[in-house]
Amino acid sequence: MSVAQAAAHNVTEGDAGYIQEIWGVNIIPFTYLGAKHMVTGYDHILFLLGVVFFLYKMRDVGIYVSLFALGHSTTMLLGVWFGWGVNAYIVDAIIGLSVVYKALDNLGAYQRWFGFQPNTKAATLIFGFFHGTGLATKILDYDIASDGLLANLLAFNVGVELGQLMALAVILIVMGFWRKSPNFFAQAYTANVVMMTLGFILMGYQLTGLFVAA
Amino acid sequence: MFNAEKPSLDELPSSKQLIRSTVIAGAAAVAILVTVVLPAEYNIDPTGIGEALGLAEMGAIKSQLAEEAEADRQMGLDEQSSLLDSVLGLFVGTAYAQEAAPAEGGEAWRDETTFTLKPGDSAEWKMVMEAGQTAEYQMLVEGGRVNFDLHGHGGGNSVTYEKGRGSTGAEGEVTADFDGEHGWFWRNRDSADVTVKVQVRGEYAEFKDAS
Repeated sequence: MSVAQAAAHNVTEGDAGYIQEIWGVNIIPFTYLGAKHMVTGYDHILFLLGVVFFLYKMRDVGIYVSLFALGHSTTMLLGVWFGWGVNAYIVDAIIGLSVVYKALDNLGAYQRWFGFQPNTKAATLIFGFFHGTGLATKILDYDIASDGLLANLLAFNVGVELGQLMALAVILIVMGFWRKSPNFFAQAYTANVVMMTLGFILMGYQLTGLFVAA
Repeated sequence: MFNAEKPSLDELPSSKQLIRSTVIAGAAAVAILVTVVLPAEYNIDPTGIGEALGLAEMGAIKSQLAEEAEADRQMGLDEQSSLLDSVLGLFVGTAYAQEAAPAEGGEAWRDETTFTLKPGDSAEWKMVMEAGQTAEYQMLVEGGRVNFDLHGHGGGNSVTYEKGRGSTGAEGEVTADFDGEHGWFWRNRDSADVTVKVQVRGEYAEFKDAS
């Protein structure tokens, strides 16, 4: 390859660059990319942490995580398949909002302020839809070849769930140690306030991007 | 104070169980790192499992793209590249296309070139055009499929007209956005040798090998 050639075309790097070089069904690579996306997607992880923060029974963890998975799988697959052109900044700001919402929920703010408890299962499912829409937007940016799209998309989705389970395993182990400490309930309040702060930062970051990029 | 019930101690996992889980998680992480993550990210594959899963190829492609992008940044793109071209041109004669054979029952192609790419190899051919000029092309691919990037650059401008993946051929026309070199970069990402034949005609000064 000559020097001139290196400078000849605009190279797309990283995962997107790789995806733009391949075509056809690639199950394992797309599964890996889905898992990577979830494990490195701090916004999804934060929400997941919020959801399981006060869930002690594995059965409850299973129910809520399944609801979240159902939500984000649905909109991710539909969003990519139908090419929903949603504004990434707005969706990601809503994902930031989901973190704030869940932190306030954990703190019992809705009961204190409004005297009622919004349905936590419904909230998990609905915010799951938004998280999936965010995933779809990022996958559309990858520009996956139409050749083998459905199989690759399903593989990516399986990867997302695997990544979610891996993240969940780590969260549950850490929470397990933490909950045994006598100070857990004292620290839990602060932890949820910190989580809320991070959610606000995510919102501000995305909304700023919306105006800067517009 | 919280939207949670205080759990009784027997609802919490035991210390022993937690430590065992931590050890399992750590061991699983090391295994996944060595067999999956390192091959897919850096093409580092001590076990050979990454290769079997098709993930080492991902790492290889990413590394190659990173090197090319880095080379781009070092070059500062066009200006120096054309300077380098002229310097290199002193030592390396540019290959030019042969006169194309007249087409049957149609307007003849003006130039054509045929070349074979091994898996992973690339080539580049360009037409020297002025802004607004239009050239027609036909590209035939045999033995496999090829990725291409139809683009132009010159005078500090660069533009991508079309990108193709797993292409078995294409035809159409390209209208130059600005004065410069406009044409194709191809890469064979298939598993076998691929032969590409390109025929061009229309408004351009020359059709040359820019590889």
